[in-house]
Amino acid sequence: MTMRKELWFGFSIMGIIVLTTVIFTPWTQLSNGHLGLLMLSLVVVAIMLGFPTAFTLMGMGMIFTLFAYLSEQGATLERSVEKTLDLMVGSTYGKVMQSDVLISIPLFVFMGYLVERANLIEKLFRSLHLAMARLPGSLGVATLVTCAVFATATGIVGAVVTLMGLLAMPAMLRSGYSVQLSAGTITAGGCLGILIPPSVMLILYGATAGESVVKLYAGAFFPGLMLAGLYIAYVIILAKIKPGLAPPLSEADRRVPLPDVSQRIQGSGRSNALMGLLTATLGRIGGVSPVAALRQLSVAIVPALAVALMLGLVYRSVTTPQVEQSTAGLEQMGLGATGADSTASGGGLAEPPAAESVQEPPQEGELSEPPQEARATDQNGQAPALGETPRAAESPTGGAGVREPAAPTAESTASAARVPAPSWFWTTAGIAAGVLALFYAIFTLTRLEVFKLLLGSFFPLAMLILAVLGTIVFGLATPTEAAAVGSLGGFLLAIAYRWIDHRRRDRANAVRTTLREVGAITRESSFLTAKTSAMVCWLFVGSAIFSSAFALLGGQELIEKWVLSLGLSKLQFMLLSQFIIFVLGWPLEWTEIIVIFMPIFLPLLKVFDVDPLFFGLLVALNLQTAFLSPPVAMAAFYLKGVSPPHVSLNQIFAGMMPFMVIQVFAMFLLYVFPQIGLWLPGVLYGR
Amino acid sequence: MQKLLIAIDKLSTWVGQAFGWLIVALTLLISWEVFSRYALDRPHAWAFDAQIMLYGTLFMMAGAYTLAKNGHVRGDVLYGFFRPRTQASIDLVLYILFFIPGVVALAYAGYTFAAESWRINEHSSITADGPPIYPFKTVIPIAGTLLLLQGLVEIVRCVLCIKNGAWPRREQDVEEVDVEKLKEMVHATDTPAAPSSSVGR
Repeated sequence: MTMRKELWFGFSIMGIIVLTTVIFTPWTQLSNGHLGLLMLSLVVVAIMLGFPTAFTLMGMGMIFTLFAYLSEQGATLERSVEKTLDLMVGSTYGKVMQSDVLISIPLFVFMGYLVERANLIEKLFRSLHLAMARLPGSLGVATLVTCAVFATATGIVGAVVTLMGLLAMPAMLRSGYSVQLSAGTITAGGCLGILIPPSVMLILYGATAGESVVKLYAGAFFPGLMLAGLYIAYVIILAKIKPGLAPPLSEADRRVPLPDVSQRIQGSGRSNALMGLLTATLGRIGGVSPVAALRQLSVAIVPALAVALMLGLVYRSVTTPQVEQSTAGLEQMGLGATGADSTASGGGLAEPPAAESVQEPPQEGELSEPPQEARATDQNGQAPALGETPRAAESPTGGAGVREPAAPTAESTASAARVPAPSWFWTTAGIAAGVLALFYAIFTLTRLEVFKLLLGSFFPLAMLILAVLGTIVFGLATPTEAAAVGSLGGFLLAIAYRWIDHRRRDRANAVRTTLREVGAITRESSFLTAKTSAMVCWLFVGSAIFSSAFALLGGQELIEKWVLSLGLSKLQFMLLSQFIIFVLGWPLEWTEIIVIFMPIFLPLLKVFDVDPLFFGLLVALNLQTAFLSPPVAMAAFYLKGVSPPHVSLNQIFAGMMPFMVIQVFAMFLLYVFPQIGLWLPGVLYGR
Repeated sequence: MQKLLIAIDKLSTWVGQAFGWLIVALTLLISWEVFSRYALDRPHAWAFDAQIMLYGTLFMMAGAYTLAKNGHVRGDVLYGFFRPRTQASIDLVLYILFFIPGVVALAYAGYTFAAESWRINEHSSITADGPPIYPFKTVIPIAGTLLLLQGLVEIVRCVLCIKNGAWPRREQDVEEVDVEKLKEMVHATDTPAAPSSSVGR
């Protein structure tokens, strides 16, 4: 019988482990510490054989704990059994069932399933790909952004890769993209949710390392964005250099269908959205109903309103007399939102840019860069502002003071005399107005349609993520609270999208169908959440028992002694540890690596004076590769499952390679410039 | 035989799914608590204990359910490439070597742990005047027993598989990556049928 090459690979790794263990174990003078190491290698072998990891760890841990107690002086069997049982139940109850860190896992998982079932990925992909139509490699970039946003909100790699395999893969292949590049963008993008917070991996690391999840989230934010940015840059550059791999979209694919109103306005020779709609609203264009135009216009001024709202909030916060808060300026932004309506309606800032843009001649023949830039800045500017509002809405007047017990109440703050706004505020406002003016100058009716699409898909999701993340990172809510409220948000999102969908198709029964569907969604999501949380948390039960056994046997001290005897420098240690984790990522899954091997590395960090937060960020980046490295690269198998038959697994693997290289490069960048990760936690929590 | 196996599967599934609804309760409880504390300025001392208990009960009681649906994470370097008979033999040995002793010990230890708690009428000490904690501790032996029962079913399955050369049928359940459903979601019709969707997590 010939063995398959996958089996060869697995067996040879296993053989190496067994051989190393046999050779290096001093069989004649076996100490308990050696027994611990023996247990470690046995557990890796057992896991590779494929038995459920949680129970491998539990059983092995129990057996070796018993050994350890029996080998103590004057131990009796009865007493040792008793102690073993105590240790088992103690670690199960104390370390897992009572964990106030792990509790957020089911909640985030639940949120993910709900968001996934809101069924907006198709809209998201379509709107992003239209929005980016002019970029080189636009489909690839749109795929990456869709993946990043959707994977961040759901965190379910398998579902994201499958969905994008169904949506983006045919689209890319149809437009002549190379198979490798298409497969690479989908698999790499789908895994971004593992790193970009709120991610379950960081919770797991936080629980294992005893590191604050809040700090990990703040720290992983920019590295996650950096990785996504590097992917996008790679695709754009590749498309620029070798257009054959990623040809630009055809005219037909780029066309955005315009509604009747816009078509007529465009027909009258006006392409600028604001000007055309204003004229139409005033009834100056024949055949266009002013009401319909007004409706369009109200969407068109959303960016201006958002900028005005944000500036208003900032103005309010900077002019509020500072009594004792200095670092809480950003919190103030959210808290001071009680006066949002008044600022928004009274905010004269929205008008000047609009008026300016009317005077400016519309420049249609411009390059493709400015619009993208303007839109990007606008998104950045708008998203937090919108993300802030729902939270602020939750707390009616008077609630503001509660969050910060030491702070004065909202009423007293408001009644105090206002401080004049600093000059940087007016500079910012001026720049914002300028950008807005530029934005409206190039804001054509076509772009208005794209903007409407984004408004219906991208912004709600981005808002949900930013609201959840923002409240955690700015310390307004614990991860648990944010996750619960996020789940509720995901639930509402699912209702809203299903309802919109049904209303379009069958208006009469929309409410009934939606309710029925939402019931099914909640049911499915709850069951899936139960299974996934049980999977993760039972793994923790197993590893809690296992690591107790390992500590009891003194395997840790032996490893520490050994590592110290190597006389490594800090850099060498970092390289070695990351390399080991990288290699472990081939045969093992990230959950197993974190729960089994992190407890071994963590005590060493103190020896080498490495920040566990920084180490965690590196590990999180590193474990991304575990998803893309053959032969256990799940992402590849999910994609293969839904690809056309001519796409081979090897092509998919080949497509993932450049992205793996980018991941390693990102790790290098993070190592050389730790501030990428540590800056935000440093600013927020002063570490 | 198959009937008995499916019946126990159903029991585990029913219990797991019933407790799965706790996630909805947990979401609502925390959301309400957030609202109550920040907006109404009325925090509840028992909320934290209640959250922990809901979460702990949720995942413990879903353990057997997850096992019944083959949902516990496995190393997949080799396992997926083995023939069913080899898979079953490995599983059988390791169930007897690791699973049975581990879970029996946990259930038994949980029993004495909970009994002690009942005896002293233990209350949570996280907050003053905390809620009783013995029902929560009782979850350990109950979940352990259910898991053990399901484990025995899996052992019988292994034996059947070694005998017949194929894994006995399992009941269908919601899948995390259900390709057919996902296809329907994105209205994809032009892709060929997927060869396999169960790659594990």
